[in-house]
Parts: sequence; structure tokens; C-alpha cells
Amino acid sequence: MTPLLEQFLSEARDFLQGIGEKLMQLEKAPADAELMTELFRFVHTLKGNSGLFDFPEMTRVLHAGEDLMDAVRQGRVAYSQELADRLLDAMDFIGMLCDEIELNGAIGSAYAAESARLGASLRQLISVPGTAVEGVPLAVPSSTEQPIPTPAALPPLETLPEVVRMAAFRLAHEGEPLHWLTYTPEEGCFFSGDDPFFQARQTPGVLWGGVVAREAWPKLLEVDAYRCILDFHLLTTASRADLDEYYRYMPEQIRRVAIPALALVQPQGDPNGGPVYEDFVVEALDTLGRGDNGSLAHAARTMLELSNPDLWLASALRWLLLLLELEPDNHAAQGVVIESLRNLETIDWLAVTAMAPSVEDEPCTAAETRMSPVEMSPEEMSPEEQASLAALVATQRAILGLPIEAAWQMGRVRAVISTLSGCLRACQREDEIAGLEAASAAALDDASAAPLLDWLDRHFSTESVAPAPAAPEHKATEAAPVVVLPAEDTKSAGEGEGDVKFGRRAEDAFSGPKSLKVEQAKIDLLMNLIGEIVVAKNALPYLAGRAETVFGVRELSREIKAQYAVINRIAEEMQDAIMQVRMMPVSFVFQRFPRLVRDISRKLGKEVKLVLEGEETEADKNIIESLGDPLVHIVRNSLDHGFELPEVRRAAGKPSEGTLTIRATQESDRVVIEIQDDGKGIDPEVVKRKAYEKGLIDETTLERLSDQEAVNLVFAAGFSTAEVISDLSGRGVGMDVVRTAIEKVNGAIALDSEKGRGTRIRLSLPLSMAVTNVMIIESDGQIFGLPMDNVVETVRVARTDIRTIKRSMATVLRGRIVPLKSLNKLLGLATPPIANDQDELAVLVVRLGEESVGLLVDDFRETVDIILKPMTGVLAGLGCYSGSALMGDGSVLMVLNVKELM
Amino acid sequence: MAIEFRKNLALFRDVVSVEEAEPLLEWLQKKPAGRVDLADCTHLHAANLQVLMAACASVKAWPKDPFFADWLRAALLRPH
Amino acid sequence: MKRILIVDDAATVRMFHRTILESAGYTVDEAVNGIEALEKALQSAYDLYMVDINMPKLDGYGFLRELRGHDIPQPPAIMISTEAEASDQSQAYASGANAYLIKPSKPEQLLVHVRLLIGEA
Repeated sequence: MTPLLEQFLSEARDFLQGIGEKLMQLEKAPADAELMTELFRFVHTLKGNSGLFDFPEMTRVLHAGEDLMDAVRQGRVAYSQELADRLLDAMDFIGMLCDEIELNGAIGSAYAAESARLGASLRQLISVPGTAVEGVPLAVPSSTEQPIPTPAALPPLETLPEVVRMAAFRLAHEGEPLHWLTYTPEEGCFFSGDDPFFQARQTPGVLWGGVVAREAWPKLLEVDAYRCILDFHLLTTASRADLDEYYRYMPEQIRRVAIPALALVQPQGDPNGGPVYEDFVVEALDTLGRGDNGSLAHAARTMLELSNPDLWLASALRWLLLLLELEPDNHAAQGVVIESLRNLETIDWLAVTAMAPSVEDEPCTAAETRMSPVEMSPEEMSPEEQASLAALVATQRAILGLPIEAAWQMGRVRAVISTLSGCLRACQREDEIAGLEAASAAALDDASAAPLLDWLDRHFSTESVAPAPAAPEHKATEAAPVVVLPAEDTKSAGEGEGDVKFGRRAEDAFSGPKSLKVEQAKIDLLMNLIGEIVVAKNALPYLAGRAETVFGVRELSREIKAQYAVINRIAEEMQDAIMQVRMMPVSFVFQRFPRLVRDISRKLGKEVKLVLEGEETEADKNIIESLGDPLVHIVRNSLDHGFELPEVRRAAGKPSEGTLTIRATQESDRVVIEIQDDGKGIDPEVVKRKAYEKGLIDETTLERLSDQEAVNLVFAAGFSTAEVISDLSGRGVGMDVVRTAIEKVNGAIALDSEKGRGTRIRLSLPLSMAVTNVMIIESDGQIFGLPMDNVVETVRVARTDIRTIKRSMATVLRGRIVPLKSLNKLLGLATPPIANDQDELAVLVVRLGEESVGLLVDDFRETVDIILKPMTGVLAGLGCYSGSALMGDGSVLMVLNVKELM
Repeated sequence: MAIEFRKNLALFRDVVSVEEAEPLLEWLQKKPAGRVDLADCTHLHAANLQVLMAACASVKAWPKDPFFADWLRAALLRPH
Repeated sequence: MKRILIVDDAATVRMFHRTILESAGYTVDEAVNGIEALEKALQSAYDLYMVDINMPKLDGYGFLRELRGHDIPQPPAIMISTEAEASDQSQAYASGANAYLIKPSKPEQLLVHVRLLIGEA
């Protein structure tokens, strides 16, 4: 994948996210023009981006979306929920395409149909407002007939106005390709929102365009306005590639034929009684035979002056003169034009020459004898460059023709001067720059753009400039005042490669972007490195100890300790800084909820208002990511089982719209997420009965359970209160899965609920999981780590104080019975725990939910900060370990997962 | 609406969209001698063009944009 | 080294153009909206601007109009747009653009324009 594609995908996802959010917001404020504009811009920019790649399936949908949003923005189409739904569907599809691209680097052909469907469904909203038709007419390509390779005939060029053909003829001699394009849109295209006329008008390089009906028009009363039977014919200077590009979504609807320049040469006009010019023809052919172009041109001009310009004769003479000018050596062609005066028939160039228009071959450029390009362009310039130059110059001419009404518009004139000066240098006509500067100065003196326009006329003649068809038509208004232009500007622009540029530009500081997007892997690497520093630094106290005890150098030991303090501080700050980088706002998870709540509640026929609070609260990326699935589950659960239907709510005296609040707050080093609904709450009696029926609790427990304890039974494995498992809250997956997921990242979950009033679930998670404070313990000659979060206390209990009740051990600590478990036994080791000299056993009291349990170990050691690395590979399956860490002396510490262990 | 229907004249303004083809057709059916004024029109959807062509509508004024006017002349002045 | 300022809110488009221009030996600077572009244009000199139309804060037209009103050298500007509408084009020229290209522009086509506008043979 190229960096550009990566950039595209990453930005595309941002935009999709943004589009979703804006749509949600619009739902609340459908008249917000600013939101609408932003939404349009998102879709528009995303479409622009997709256009950089060859993803027509994606671009098609986005284009439709853009047009739709444009229509909405301009008030042509009203915003509606239907519209939001379709747009969201379309964006989901785009998201899917992004995934596909990421996976395969391209979009499979399988998506084309869906793309067409979605595009059409969006366009339908633009074209037929209010009449949503099921079964959108699809843009089914008409039977893909291959274009006939070499048609026998040229298109009916003689029907084009002579001026157009003459202009085209000149362009062909300047190296422009000429194409005749027939565009046959589908009959149903209006329904898919297409405007073939617009498509045709915007064709690049159009010189002339005509529209004809494919069939005879029926009586006016029987005309179907929405069945397209129009064909478009165009003469264009666009290259084959440009045309294919422009019509790439409808290749089967166009046929393009390269036009040889000579085919344009067709006299037309009033035949005026027939061929009466025999004398002239004979004489002209005679002159032609002698190769005397000068005399022939003279004779033709004289004859032309004497003739009515509307006559066929006059037209033929004009062509003859043009041929003499542009193809002076092509006597054959000149002869054919003269001969045509005899019979006044359309010249059949196919019969006269061997030339044939070709559909597939590269366009034949102009004629065999190519006139040397117009004065301005040196031979080295490619036809594309010449065309661009011509278009650029034409544009500057048009800009100069604009009226100058405000002071800033002088800057526009100066930019034109820079541009013209650039063009001169580009075609190595530096010697003319002085003239341009003089004209610029004159323009300033006269306070008029006229000197510059004059200069243009002299140096870039209009004929040599392509009549850029798409260029705006500006009427040169009355001499507009040009504001004074500092002379040095034009000079510096004119000096080009001169020495000025360094003085002016060398010191320009390059300012880069202010924020960076960094790959996750790079942050992870930093994290690992800081982990190693923490570990390496931990070796220093050992070293200090050895310096004193082994080598007896107290001074050195003290210095090492001092250094350690410094390194320790830096390491901690660094660690902190890296953690900061990893911090993400919870909005990352929250942002999916507006859509989720909207979709689900609508599907269930419930009315739910979502309130998000504290979205800016931050936590470590891993924590945030691990929050996603449990939160979705909780929210779905609440929508599914918590909220009542509107009528039920009203009957209960509640507002018909329920409120779901998701609130994030930071409490010291933990982030707390509360999900609260004002639904029907959980009935402890129902929960108890279910739990009993499912065998999760026995009869005695049933009696004894408090309401709060009963409610917490929903977290028990295999519990599900719903009578029917809906397709929304998952299939048989209960809250126990949520609890497990939260506990996996050292989080806690609590639930309280009041029947009829609602339910509140509280998740509490560490801000960061990067550094864990663990206690090191010894057992069976090995060391293990235990997260300090779990540790309640460490005590030594005399063997005599340990009671064995049935087969389990327990002791009494501060008046409470604490069950005891041997770590060795839990780990499957046979060795019994070792007592100390006083026959006391080491008991590590750990928290297990609401209970405390004593772990019998051999000995306690110090507590350390470690970077916990999750177990990977086969070890990941060992639930009793939550991870491992590297120690200062290079050994590996296995960190126990207390909950799994029990 | 970008088309204003007067007694015997339909005035086209700015961009005339696809939805206006049907009313235009109805108007021309009722007033076969009705004329159209395209002077202030910058674009019309192909459906409208088709209706004008089918009705051989006579044009009172051509668009100001000369390129656009050329297109329409080529389409509407051609004998059917 | 000729310097070009790319003004576009889409990072992908900026990268696309940057790659094309840098491979042709130009120095490229970027701005993500009209305001930032104006700040940069007033701080340092460029040989050419490549300006997107639709941007937040200040759009391409607004940027060019502001720019052209300042008493600084006025190098050419290319307006880059996805719109093929003639009205956009005339508005671009009226606002102070010197050329108008539809994106995605082909690299060769873009470079031809850049060369002509900057004035390199």
C-alpha cells in the first residue's frame, strides 16, 4: 500500500466519522445551515480524495451524496430522516469499501451493483422529491456493443457552421487532436439523476455540440418528458484519454472518432443556380499546376470580394485560402476544393484520399504537411504544452478584461503579469519580457488594462490561441482604472532565474504541521523502551548495595544512589510523557453511540434521547479500546430491556421519551463510566426466581439475598433475563461477558437499579494499564508478582491459628473469617507452604470481589513498578497469569491473575 | 421554479432542473404557439431540452452565454 | 528552488500534489485553509499557489481575494477544483486565480501548467 493510499484511508475514515456525527446533529437541528455546509464539505472533500484513485464504485456513491447535499444546502431538497438514512447507508458502504481497499488494495467488481444502487437511491432524492419509488431504476448498461472499429463514413461534419470547422482546422494544425463524439445516454438516465446535457456541455475541449432525437418525435400530447431519447454530438479537441476519463462511468454510451483535419474542409452555402464558374476553375487549376500559390491566393481573394459571402462559391474560396495558408504544399487537397466548384457537391474526402476516420487508432494529428507552430511556441513544446499555453494566455486576456472596481483587484492584474512573464520564460522568449514590462508600466501610467491587452494582441495573436471553450466569457468593459503597480514586482517576476530569489527566499523558514499522526507501533516501541529503562534503572540500587557490602565503598554507593534518584526522576517523567501520548478521550468510544442508539431505538419503536457527558475524559488507548464492546453491550441491553415502549411509559406517568445518559469522569487514577437509563429497572424478585430456575442459586440463598445482591446476579455466568433472546442484545451473551471484559483490564463493574425508575451501571477502570505496581512473593523457590490493587494486607499467621473446616482452611483476622488457599496448590504444585522459624505462615490477603481470601505463600518481598506485558502465543491461554515483566536483574517475573487463579 | 409561465411566454432563469420538464410540457401542450425566453438561463436539464425540441418551441431570446446559446441553436434550429 | 504553496483541507490531496511537485524538483509548503495560507503567504514568498475552493474558515476565493489585496509580490495561482461548472471558473478568475484545473488532474497536465506559470523552459 502506498503512503498516499494509507493517507487516503485514514482521512476517509475521519471524514466518515465526521459525516455520521454531522448527520446526527442535523437530526436535532435540521435547519442549521452551518452544519449543512460542513456536512457538504465533508462529503465533497471525501469525493475529491477518492477521485485521486481509481475507485469508481466509491466515487460514484460519494458524487451522488455530494450532489444531494449540495441540493439540500441550496434548499432545493428538504432534509429528511429518509435522506439521513440513505446517506448513512451510503457512508457505511464507503466504510466497507475502505476496509476492502485496505485488505486487497482495490475494490472488487462485486461492489459495482451495490454502488450503482446506492448512488441511484441518493440521486433519486434529488430528482424526484417527495415521490420515493421502490425499486430504483438502475443504471444498467445497455448491451455493450463494441464500437465498430472503422466506420465507413465520416460524421456529418458539413452540418457544422463553417466558422467552427475553420477554427477546428486551425487547432488541428496547432497539434490539437480532433474527435467527433457521439454520446447516447440511456433512456432511463433522468431517473438516476443524470443530466446528459450537462455531461455533454462539460465535455473537455468542446468546439461544437449538437443534440438530435434518436427517433421521430411523437405528437406533443404523447411526449414522455422523462424518457431520454436524445443523442449528443460533439466536436472536441480533447485527447482520447481525456474523453475516456471524462466519460469513464459510461464508456458504453459514447463513441469517439478521430477526425482528420481535411474532413473539416467542406464548402457550404447557397449554390445559386449551379456551376457557372467553369472559367475560374480551369484557370485556378492551371495556376495550381504551376505551383504558383501566390497567384492562386490572389485570384481567390479577388473572386471572393466579388461574391456574395453566403454563396457556396464564397465558402469554397475561403477554404481554399485557408488551405493555401496552412497546407501550402498540399496541392491535391487544394485541387479537390477547386474541383468542387464544378459540381457543388459535398467533398467525399474518403474517396479522394485514403484517409479514414478511426475509432481505435491514435488521433491523426492535423494533416500530413504540418505547419510550423505559430510564432510564439518554439518547436520543442509538446502539443499539450502549446494547448495549455494557449488556454492560459486566453484566460489572462479574459481576466484583464474584467472591470477593476476595488483596490485589491490590482493584485489580480499583477498576478496576470507574473503569469504572462512565466509563460514567456517557459517558451524561452525572455527577450520579450522587456516589452511586457514596458506594457505593464504603461498600463499603470494610463491607469488602464489596455496596454497589456494590446501587448497580448501583438505577442500572442488571438488566432494562435485556442478558444478555450470552458473559459468564462467576459466582456471587456470600459477602460477600467488600474491601480499603480510597484515596478520592482514585475521586474523580480521577470528576472526569473536571476539572483534575486536567494536574497528573498533563502531564509524563509519552513513551517511544518503542528500535530502529527503517528503509527501505533511507534508508540508501542517507545513504551517498550521506557519499560526497559525502568527495569535497567532498577538495577542501580542493587549495584549500590553491592558497592557497599561486597566492595566496601560507601562513598561510591552513596553516589550511585544519588545518580539513581536523578535517573529515576527522568525515567518517571518520560514514562509519564509517553503515557500522555497514549491517552485518548473517551469520545473515541462514545462517538458511535448516537448512531447506535438512534438505529436501535427506532427499530424497537422506542423513543430514547442520548446524553453524553465528559467525552473529553482521557484514558490509556488500550483501556479506551477495551471499553468499546462492553459499552455497546450495556447500551444495547438498556435499549432492549431497560426502556419501555412510549405508550407503556406514558401509562406509567413518565415522559414518552426515555433518557440514556453515558457519563465519563475521572476519579483520582481511575476513569469512571456511568450508563444510566430511566427505564423500567430490574425487578429483584424476577431476577431471583430466574437465577433459582437456572440453578444459579439454591433455595437458602434465594431467601437470604438482599435486593442489591439479587440485582447483581445478572452478572452471573449464564444469566439472561430476557424471555426471548432478541437479535439486538446478542445471542445468549449476558452481562457476565461484560464483567469479564472489564475485569480483564483491572476494571470493576457495579449495577444498581430501582424497579420502575431505571438502572445505573458504573464501570471503573484504571487510567492507564502501562505501569503496574506489584508485590513480589516467593513460593516453592520461585518468585511471582501480584498486582497491589488486589492486595489487602500481608500477615503472618501461626500454624496453630489455622483451622481446617471440612477440607478447606480458614483463619480469623480481626474478627472475620478469612478462607485460606495455598498458592502452590492453586498452581498445581505439590510442595506445602514453608513456615518461618516461629512456625508462622505468610498469608497474603487479597480482594476477590466483595470477599477477602488469604493466599498461603512462602515469603513476601518488595513491591516494584513493572511494565506488564500480556502473555502471547501459547502462554496466552494460561488464565492464571495476567502477564509477565522483566526484572532489574534480568529475570522474568510472572504476574498472577488472582481472579482466574481462584 | 426556474420557469415563469406568462400568457404566451415561458421565462427561463438560471438552472432549470429536471422537475420542471413536466410542467413545461403541459404548458406547451396547452399553448402550442407559446414562446420561450432563455436569456437568463444558464443551464437546462436535458429533459427540458427534449421537451423544447419535441414541441419545436420558438425561442424569443437565446441565452447570454454564447457557448450555451450555440448548443441550443444547434439543437432547436435544426429541422426535425 | 521554486516554492509552491498547496492550500487544501484534504490531507490526501495535499499529499498527492506534494508528491507530484516534489518529484519534479519543487519545494512544497502546505496550508489547510485560507487563513493559514494567508498567514504563510504574508510571511514568506512563493512562486505559485495551488488553491482548493471549498475549505473551512476561509475558502479559496476568499483567500485569493485577500491575497491579491496585499502589497506583496503576486505570483500566479492555480485554482484546483472538483467542480466543472463554468460559474466556479469565472469566480476563480475574478477572485485572482490565473488558471483553473479540475482534480484529479493528471500529473503531466499539472506540471505543464506549473512550468508555464512559474516560467521554466
